Amino acid sequence: MNDKILDIQHLNVQFKTFEGKFSAVRDVSLSLGRNESIGIIGESGCGKSTLAFSIMRYLAPNAEMDGNLIFNGKDLMENTDSEMDKIRGNRIAMVFQNPSTSLNPALTIGFQLDEVGIMHQKLSKKDARKASLDALALMNIGDPKGTVRRYPHQISGGIQQRICIAMAILCNPDIMILDEPTTALDVTTEAVILDSIKSLKDKLNMSLIYISHDMGVINKVSEQIVVMYNGEVVEQGPKAKIFEHPSHPYTRALINCMPRGGVVKENAKLNTIKGYVRRRGIIESGCPYADRCDARNDTCEAKYGMRSIEEAHSAACDRAYADDIEDTIKKKRKPRVRAVAPKQPKTILELENLHKIYGTRRKIYAVNGVDVEVNSGTVMGIVGESGCGKSTTGHMVAGLYKPTKGSMTFDGNDITRGWRKRTPETLKDIQLIFQNPGRSLNPSHTVEQIIGRPMQTLLNMKSKEERREKIISMLHKVDLGGEYLTKKPNQLSGGEQQRVAIARALSISPKMIVCDEPTSALDVSVQASVLNLLNDLQHDSDVTYLFISHDLNVINYLSDTIMVMYAGKICEYGKRDEVMSKPFHPYTEALLSAMPEVDPTKQKDPIRLEGGLPDPAKKPKGCPFAGRCHKQVGKICEEQYPPMVKFSDTHYYNCHIAKPEM
Amino acid sequence: MMKYLLYQLKKYPLAIVGIAVLLLWVIVAIFGPMMVSHTHTAMDSTNQMAGPGTAGHLLGTDSMGRDILSRIVYGSRSILTVALMTSIFSTVLGILLGFMAGYFGGKTDAAFLRAMDILMAIPPLVLSMVVLGIIGDSSILTLTLIVSIAFIPATARVSRGVLLTEKSQEYVSAARIRGESHLYIMFVEILPNTTGPILVEATARFAYSIMMVASLGFLGVGLQPPTPDWGMMVIENKPIISQAPWAVLFPALAIASLVIAISIFSDFVSKVLIHER
Repeated sequence: MNDKILDIQHLNVQFKTFEGKFSAVRDVSLSLGRNESIGIIGESGCGKSTLAFSIMRYLAPNAEMDGNLIFNGKDLMENTDSEMDKIRGNRIAMVFQNPSTSLNPALTIGFQLDEVGIMHQKLSKKDARKASLDALALMNIGDPKGTVRRYPHQISGGIQQRICIAMAILCNPDIMILDEPTTALDVTTEAVILDSIKSLKDKLNMSLIYISHDMGVINKVSEQIVVMYNGEVVEQGPKAKIFEHPSHPYTRALINCMPRGGVVKENAKLNTIKGYVRRRGIIESGCPYADRCDARNDTCEAKYGMRSIEEAHSAACDRAYADDIEDTIKKKRKPRVRAVAPKQPKTILELENLHKIYGTRRKIYAVNGVDVEVNSGTVMGIVGESGCGKSTTGHMVAGLYKPTKGSMTFDGNDITRGWRKRTPETLKDIQLIFQNPGRSLNPSHTVEQIIGRPMQTLLNMKSKEERREKIISMLHKVDLGGEYLTKKPNQLSGGEQQRVAIARALSISPKMIVCDEPTSALDVSVQASVLNLLNDLQHDSDVTYLFISHDLNVINYLSDTIMVMYAGKICEYGKRDEVMSKPFHPYTEALLSAMPEVDPTKQKDPIRLEGGLPDPAKKPKGCPFAGRCHKQVGKICEEQYPPMVKFSDTHYYNCHIAKPEM
Repeated sequence: MMKYLLYQLKKYPLAIVGIAVLLLWVIVAIFGPMMVSHTHTAMDSTNQMAGPGTAGHLLGTDSMGRDILSRIVYGSRSILTVALMTSIFSTVLGILLGFMAGYFGGKTDAAFLRAMDILMAIPPLVLSMVVLGIIGDSSILTLTLIVSIAFIPATARVSRGVLLTEKSQEYVSAARIRGESHLYIMFVEILPNTTGPILVEATARFAYSIMMVASLGFLGVGLQPPTPDWGMMVIENKPIISQAPWAVLFPALAIASLVIAISIFSDFVSKVLIHER
């Protein structure tokens, strides 16, 4: 029995709010063995983080919890606060999502690390520093002695997160809880961190609780998987079992709704989960997922509870494994027919030697020469890690910023200028959809005002009735109804907000829509439905998309052509299939290999990219990727900007490595 | 909304006291003068410096036999009028100036900030006192205008601050790239999202205005007789404080209760609005 380090039994957490009590975690039981790794997965609002905090008994004052938390044979619920203080950080450590906010910006890394040793283990200053350096070395940080003297802002996000993990392992804890530690990081950085987490676990004989919304990430680090929905565990079991035979309809839907492994818009519609996670009051009973479930029947309300499927694998669904569920979930994968016959493609947008330098005194070189043409009626995907200049490029096209150098031609007109100097015609023709719908919709305006205003100013539609009619038809197009007219953005879920934003962009029939990471802030199930919607609308209206994303799977699903950017330059450009199947640029290759794979049978070894983006404040010289490249050919990489190598008429890349013989 | 207010009231029961006292004063200001037995100037020569409870003079009289209660009741009218108008004026002017400065940024903003620094270097009380002294006119209107101007640095800075946080929001970018005018963006897009902090500042200004009007009255440059003024009552009756302490005590209590009530109310407003956002 002592192989269990943590045993959670019937844990409930409720929050008291002015609308009454609502329950965030309900009757959760799970156990964690020594040196075992559990992955907790679920969408936002499913109680994953609350569960993590309640293990530490570190909750907001309006929370009430009951149940048992047996840690090392002792119930943590009986501990006093001062006893808990000895456990928090010391025996159970936690790593948070955003490393830049968990480190104190005013103190050096060394000071913050040493503090842990001095506080928890009563080490002398000298010993604490030695322990800190060891921990940093364990996290593969290149120069520990240099790092401890720096401040958090002098260090990249990936290293910051590694420092947070180093801080967590300083006391050699029994359990480390990681709450979405890589969500805010780029995929290449994520791959490196996941690697080091895995190796740490074995080196230090720790148990891990890893919280994520990403199946692929969980797949990499965990042996056991716990699927949570609306505060309840709906399925748990060993990784292989869950991926091979996902039993709860929610688990299946979650795995199915991700665009991955070769799913492209021509051959499939993404699976979605209807609705969204509802906030549950305390009185409700029955299956929490019933309202969104495709396989629901009359017994769902009454018969509810965990049942074992086979050893160590259980799911909270009576109908797990029922054959008819299989059919309803693997549905709608049929090729689609284009509603409008594609017109003869012509170049609609042409970017020539586009540069953007921010700032006057301290310069930031954001975009350093982008040349590209976009055909009308197609989707061009721009992909790259954060800071690669993809958003800046999109914003320049949309008119938010004026390019520093270069030119932009749209539909035969020169649009190399900011919004202030654009004609209403151009403003109407190029629309922008932002990443965060909660911020791009004015919180004090109603949906009617939000969608109606562009019609009023750019289409000159004066009559309110006429506008309302069109708004309602737009709302129907984005799968919302007329009842949304009077709602305000904060009354809508994230997915609904983004639909309203899409309706606003489309309502004035633009020729091009710049989509700046429109699904990054959304849950996977909602992402799938928004992607479907964007795809359908493009089919019907023949609008051109400039689709910006850091997620190659999303780009792969939606794009016709792909442009890979790095440090403000194009690395590789080509038709989707060309880039995805024959990535040539080492950076594209690294990006592709870093994508976490959901299928456990298809595990691959990622190319590990060390270091970060080149300093954007320095004028670029040579190949920007040279410092991190695993295929560097020599000095030439650092000194000369690589030439463009043409693979085919549509596929080219910029690299010193010569074109391979076909 | 109602339910939410009740929930907040339950959480901060002190707010009930604050709101009740404030409401009481508002009712007194509106209906009081119709109910008291004397006017504020009527002198009762038989009852000079009469103690509280003397027939017909619930709170006593001053050295000229004027009824303290009546004077406080009449005085509440002028002080609330001036304070309310001042808080509205200074807030509106503050929004206009602060929004222009924050929105356009650059040189406009720098000029604005320096001008505000200069104004702020002089304490509002000293500034109003000097200006009122020079003008030599202390009608309700001039008093309101001058106190409002003295308050502008504070309200304008708050408005500028909240505008700056809102200005970086994407809905502003969205409005820009559909070609909206500056005025539309400032007042239709941004203003409704800044009401919380601005309202909190306005209620706080309300309390400050009362302090200010009372202080100016105390210093002799506030509202001039025969307009009754609480601050003036305190200074008028100071010489007789040993014989008739009530003549000083009650107006002072009136000032204190109103200022404290508004401060509590202002705290409550900020709690409600900040939680809501």
